[in-house]
Amino acid sequence: MKPLKNAVETDNLRKVFEIKQGLLRRNAKSVVAVEGISLTVPAGQSVAFIGPNGAGKSTTIKMLTGILKPSSGTASVLGLDPWKQRSKLVRQIGAVFGQRSQLWLHLPPSDSFDLLAEIYGIPKNDYRKRKALLVERFDLGRFLSTPVRKLSLGERMRAEIAASLLHRPQLLLLDEPTIGVDVIARQNLRDLVCEWNREEGVTVFLTSHDTGDIESVADRVIVINHGRVVLDDSLSSVSENTLIEGKTAELEEIIAHLFNSAASLPMQNCISPG
Amino acid sequence: MKNSIRQIWAVARVAARSNLAYLGEVASRTFFLAVILFIFLKLWQATYRESASAVIGGLSLNQMLWYLTVTEAIYMSAPRLAQQIDEDVRSGALAVRLLKPISYPLYCLSSALGERIVRFLANFATGAAVTFCLVGPFNCSPAAPIMLLVAVLLAFVLDGLGHLIIGLWAFWLEDTSGLLLIYTRLSMILGGMLIPMELFPDWLKSFVFFLPFPYLVWGPAHLFVHSDWLQFAQLVGLQSLYILLLLAVVNLIYGWALERISAHGG
Repeated sequence: MKPLKNAVETDNLRKVFEIKQGLLRRNAKSVVAVEGISLTVPAGQSVAFIGPNGAGKSTTIKMLTGILKPSSGTASVLGLDPWKQRSKLVRQIGAVFGQRSQLWLHLPPSDSFDLLAEIYGIPKNDYRKRKALLVERFDLGRFLSTPVRKLSLGERMRAEIAASLLHRPQLLLLDEPTIGVDVIARQNLRDLVCEWNREEGVTVFLTSHDTGDIESVADRVIVINHGRVVLDDSLSSVSENTLIEGKTAELEEIIAHLFNSAASLPMQNCISPG
Repeated sequence: MKNSIRQIWAVARVAARSNLAYLGEVASRTFFLAVILFIFLKLWQATYRESASAVIGGLSLNQMLWYLTVTEAIYMSAPRLAQQIDEDVRSGALAVRLLKPISYPLYCLSSALGERIVRFLANFATGAAVTFCLVGPFNCSPAAPIMLLVAVLLAFVLDGLGHLIIGLWAFWLEDTSGLLLIYTRLSMILGGMLIPMELFPDWLKSFVFFLPFPYLVWGPAHLFVHSDWLQFAQLVGLQSLYILLLLAVVNLIYGWALERISAHGG
């Protein structure tokens, strides 16, 4: 199989929702959620995809995973058309949502792993080796047989990420993976994601409001607001070269500035990458 | 096809195991079942006494109580399938489920089946023990448990599809509790949970036989007390027919639902 050059390619991706209003006379109102996003994410890159609530992040991710059809534009994810080849695509995607669990609450993580292996159709031998590797690297041994409801949030999230890597996904979607997790467990999760990105070459697509996650995990930052990309640069370039009103700024300040200003002003007027 | 069967089995197995964690809930439900059966015994004892008849609707008091044991065990084993879909749609958890390589309705149905089998077995074991104490043993034919098992399994698939159809309306209605209430009451009354279909007026009987409800509850319970291979074959045939029909309906509604997410957001 030819190695993939780009994990994600989108061209002018746009999504408009029809919202019906009124009880008797149902007037349709169009709401533009995503306004022409064009992106190229090389395979193996680690990208922070951030924006304020309602910026269009979820809609974009849902379009990239084939759950939503765009109103216009095209996308290719792992070389597949997300809307026509969704069932093939989801076999190659791993997803972790900080506020939703894929593990069965009353069962130990081991049982959920076994179930995921069946759902993804992982051959038994492969699964045994992969599980052993993940248990060792994510240090799950101590609580692999403990019901998930009895685990700490940090332990649960480690098990969640390990579960999402069982089927060797090429693209890992992380949505607020460290939300509510204590500072040590948070750093531990970030290190594990970085390690996996480096060693297995898995492309990471991270959404988080925690700049620590972004700084630790991402090579590149894409900021989206009002459905448009307002910043797309490497993390090092953003941190080192971005000036706000002529002064260098922390990543958190830059992001806050973009979130606040982009509503009314075009990007180049808000901050000036120097 | 082979993959889907493996997935159904895996999800059902995990759901069954997970349900065993709710021992408190299982215990409270079985206690409630014991109370219900005791009330039924008193009601039907009075009915048999008043009618001065040893047999009503082709059933003796002993058969009637065993019939009700099966119907209650079936009815009270119903999982929260429609409500779960409701929650998935409203909370957005659906997006997570759609990222797995298993069809969402199939996942829900398999999970509900696993859960329901555990609940049914617990209910039936308790119900049988209570009924045994109240009216004595039931001399069923050796084939009756096998017939019951097959018919109950198909009834669970059929009822699961009914719940799926109700639950999928959450894409339009957001809250399907009203629809679910109508569905569960119809299956309770027209399904013969409280009163065997033999006691229905003829006009109602002939109408109800064209609906799927009798094949959810009455069919398996009737077979248990009146085991007959011909009736078994008829029941399994009708259940299979309705399963195919409801599968097509689920497929259709699910297709519309996915289109709706795309048009109105997840």
